[in-house]
Amino acid sequence: FYHMDLYGSKERFDIFPKELTGQEDRSLGDTRKESALSSEKFQRSQEAGYDLEKEVAELAKMYGLDEDREKELELLGGHLEMVESRWPPARTEKAGSQGSIYNASKSSSPMKDQSQSTKQQGLPGEASQDEEENKARAEDKAESHIGSGEGLSSSGMSDEWNSQAVSEEEAADVFCSTCKMPIRAFDKLFGEHKDHEVAQLPSAVESEKEEIHKNMCKLEEQIAQVENFASHLEEIFITVEENFGRQEQNFEVHYNDAVQVLAQKYEEQLEALGEEKRQKLEALYGQLVSCGEHLDTCKELTDTTQELYLENDKANFMKVKSFNWQGPLEEFLKKEVDLELSTLPDFEERVIDFSEVEQLMNSINTIPAPCAPVINPQAPNTATGTSLRVCWGLFSDDTVECYQLCYKPVSNERSSDEQAEHTLKVKETYCTITNLLPNTQYEFWVSALNASGISPPSERTVYVTAPSPPTIKNKKIRSCENAALVCWESRDMNPVDSYTVELSKLTDEENGDTITESIVGIPNCEVLIHLQPTQSYRICIRALNLGGSSERSEPVLIHTTGTYFCLNEDTAHPLLAILDDGFTIACDELENPECDLPVYDNSFTRCIGILGSLIPFPGKHYWEVEVEEDTEYRIGVAFENTPRHGYLGANNSSWCMRHIITPSRHKYEFLHSGMTPDIRITIPPRRIGILLDYENCRLSFFNADIAQHLYAFNSHFQHYVHPCFALETPGILRIHTGIAIPPWTAL
Amino acid sequence: MALKQVSSNKCFEGFQKVFEHDSAELKCKMKFGIYLPPKAETGKCPVLYWLSGLTCTEQNFITKAGFHQAAAEHGLIVVAPDTSPRGCNIEGEDESWDFGTGAGFYVDATEDPWKTNYRMYSYIKDELPKLINANFPTDPERMSIFGHSMGGHGALILALKNPGKYKSVSAFAPICNPIQCEWGKKALGGYLGSDVSKWEAYDATQLVKSYPNSHLDILIDQGKDDQFLSAGQLLPDNFIAACTEQKIPVVFRLQQASCFCSPYFFIATFINDHIKHHAKYLNA
Repeated sequence: FYHMDLYGSKERFDIFPKELTGQEDRSLGDTRKESALSSEKFQRSQEAGYDLEKEVAELAKMYGLDEDREKELELLGGHLEMVESRWPPARTEKAGSQGSIYNASKSSSPMKDQSQSTKQQGLPGEASQDEEENKARAEDKAESHIGSGEGLSSSGMSDEWNSQAVSEEEAADVFCSTCKMPIRAFDKLFGEHKDHEVAQLPSAVESEKEEIHKNMCKLEEQIAQVENFASHLEEIFITVEENFGRQEQNFEVHYNDAVQVLAQKYEEQLEALGEEKRQKLEALYGQLVSCGEHLDTCKELTDTTQELYLENDKANFMKVKSFNWQGPLEEFLKKEVDLELSTLPDFEERVIDFSEVEQLMNSINTIPAPCAPVINPQAPNTATGTSLRVCWGLFSDDTVECYQLCYKPVSNERSSDEQAEHTLKVKETYCTITNLLPNTQYEFWVSALNASGISPPSERTVYVTAPSPPTIKNKKIRSCENAALVCWESRDMNPVDSYTVELSKLTDEENGDTITESIVGIPNCEVLIHLQPTQSYRICIRALNLGGSSERSEPVLIHTTGTYFCLNEDTAHPLLAILDDGFTIACDELENPECDLPVYDNSFTRCIGILGSLIPFPGKHYWEVEVEEDTEYRIGVAFENTPRHGYLGANNSSWCMRHIITPSRHKYEFLHSGMTPDIRITIPPRRIGILLDYENCRLSFFNADIAQHLYAFNSHFQHYVHPCFALETPGILRIHTGIAIPPWTAL
Repeated sequence: MALKQVSSNKCFEGFQKVFEHDSAELKCKMKFGIYLPPKAETGKCPVLYWLSGLTCTEQNFITKAGFHQAAAEHGLIVVAPDTSPRGCNIEGEDESWDFGTGAGFYVDATEDPWKTNYRMYSYIKDELPKLINANFPTDPERMSIFGHSMGGHGALILALKNPGKYKSVSAFAPICNPIQCEWGKKALGGYLGSDVSKWEAYDATQLVKSYPNSHLDILIDQGKDDQFLSAGQLLPDNFIAACTEQKIPVVFRLQQASCFCSPYFFIATFINDHIKHHAKYLNA
């Protein structure tokens, strides 16, 4: 047994020198090698057990892998891998079991060793085998550098014996919870476990397995945690390298700068000093020269005086004295001899300016002010009508504490009220600015700041907010069974890039929140949408620009039942009134006494009429007009450009049914180019159905109340036409749209 | 009521046939033309009866009117009977073109010697439809009637005397008010006797006045330059006035075409409108 301890604790290694008496000279080195070997083996078995932890769950019950061990394992991972590769695969399992036993002993404290060994004494043959094993081990140690495989095989064998020993107890069928061991049921009744709590072995095993599984999970978690931590450490390691490397560079640069500056200062100082010295010496030399000259003059005068003194000719003496000598001498003596030093021998005090160096030195430990950031161009769909997301970045590795983001609206007017600039401090390299105006351009620029200062500002970049949602012109919607013409207006001053139409088909079950179709890239404020007949649709418009799309417009509902059109008020004759419902036209008097009614460019001037705005779509369109029996009218269709000064039906650009009351009867005309067939209708229609059928080139009139066909024009309409209505006597016409085409109009 | 096929011609994917049969009503052999549209091969079709004008046989309409294409399109069986009993050997039968043979006037005669054979009203109203319904794939509930001149008169009186029997009625230049015109006076006087009040039962304009408030859509085409119009034989204005009074819907179209010398040119021009007019109600 003790060989296990041997591997588990290095303190026990001292037994080897005792055993290997006489080989003392080798023992030191051997012990060192042995320690290496044993730890290697230990790890090997550990590793093997680790690999097999799931398969050998029963054995793992005894497997006391603790966290420290794990870390140790990881640190020495490289070494382990090498050993593992030499490990014969067939032995792995044995090694695993051995490893687990190892751990069992390892986890128990040395004090417990004694009790453990006593326990193990119950296993027959164990001790003797251990001894044998130990001998083999000792041999191994003797040839420590020989292949470790052999040593391993022997340790594997020991394990085999272990398991054999355990199998002899297998008569146990009950588990004693108190003693934590399997016992025979018999023991429960009569043996030492008599008063112990017991459980059936299978269920006990189950619960134990569950426990083990839980522990395994915990262990796995821990492994994952530690692995994560290790990889994090690696990252930190790299970061440390990088950071220190950068700082080294920084130091190098800064110290070099400082040294350079110092050297320069030195040069400057030296030069200044030399210059001063030269000046001083020059001054002194000059003084010396003038002293010499003075001496020369003195000597000359002395000589002359001496000469004169020795002159015997009195008269000549006096003459010379008074003319040649007296003057210069007196003059010379008048001059004061300058015995003052012109310059002092010591040098000027100089203040050496170290401020620059100081600054340099100070800046070594501070970071440089950052470079100008680079502002990104606007990314699509990052704006709303009132907000913008602005992003920028740095090219360099500068340390930045925060950014200063400035913006102002772009305005073309160079007017006095220069648009207010806004400034924000931002920690991140992005910012969402709110409370902006829709579809407006804003100019952004950003500076980076740190303790050392502020960077120059970035280039200015223009971002634009998304447009406001458009407004659908409800009154201008036209539709028919297969299409709708929707127009809208932008709420912004600036143009938008395009519009998107979103359609929801309304069904009974849903309330149309799902967009069933989108039409994108509409350049104008108008779109013709193809639809399915007899459905209801909810339609919304979004405006798009570079910045993104607006919110949805207020939705409109469109029913594709029949044809729906509206009246074109611009074309209405001044005497024609459109009532509030938008579909009833009325005329109170045929002549206006005041005669100064406003006449618009597009309005009818003679015929008291109006055009409708029909959807320009092929197929069939049906509408009805309710008339009074005593009202004279013209109803039909006309080209959009039908002459406004003429009567409907009087030209080749309009087709209409006319009702005239003659003294004898109701007269009906079906006019085109001023021509009408002679048709008598016995029942004056009250509700006239008009079917415009582009496909069959036909315009039909019906008495809708009795489904009577009255007349049909056969005409290939060169252009799309519009409904037209005119009153020739005071009265009203009620127009009904959105009516499904009645089946009786089919023929 | 055995039918004898006289002729059969494929026409617009259908068949234009002529049959002969012994008429119980008229006590003579009668021929009629029948057009069976392609639809008749697979299902029951409505029947449109055509009543020809003075002097005509079953042949005029089927050879000259050009109705086949429209009838084929709309799936209408078109039956064109003769205009009077034939070969009854009644004295004076063939003396004039506007009375006797070819001028049955679609009345049931009450006067000798005509009253045995000249029962065209009952023949058209009862015997012929029974025969047709028994021998062809028809829908007995759906029938309409139209005609020209005397046949127009026949169509109008049959429709007006039998509210609901015909889904629709139309006419080309019909004799609208026979009790007021020469043709009518001669024929009605001959077949019905001198009691003018009896004539009124076969006068469309008179019948309108007692027509119940039952929907009947009437289409009438009249040539503007029709000699008989100006001669006062047709009198559509009387009929229109009566219909206006009675609120019976009529569309009366005064067309820029003659219908005297060759009336079938006129008929052929507008036959499609009439077929459509009937198809609208028959196929509703």
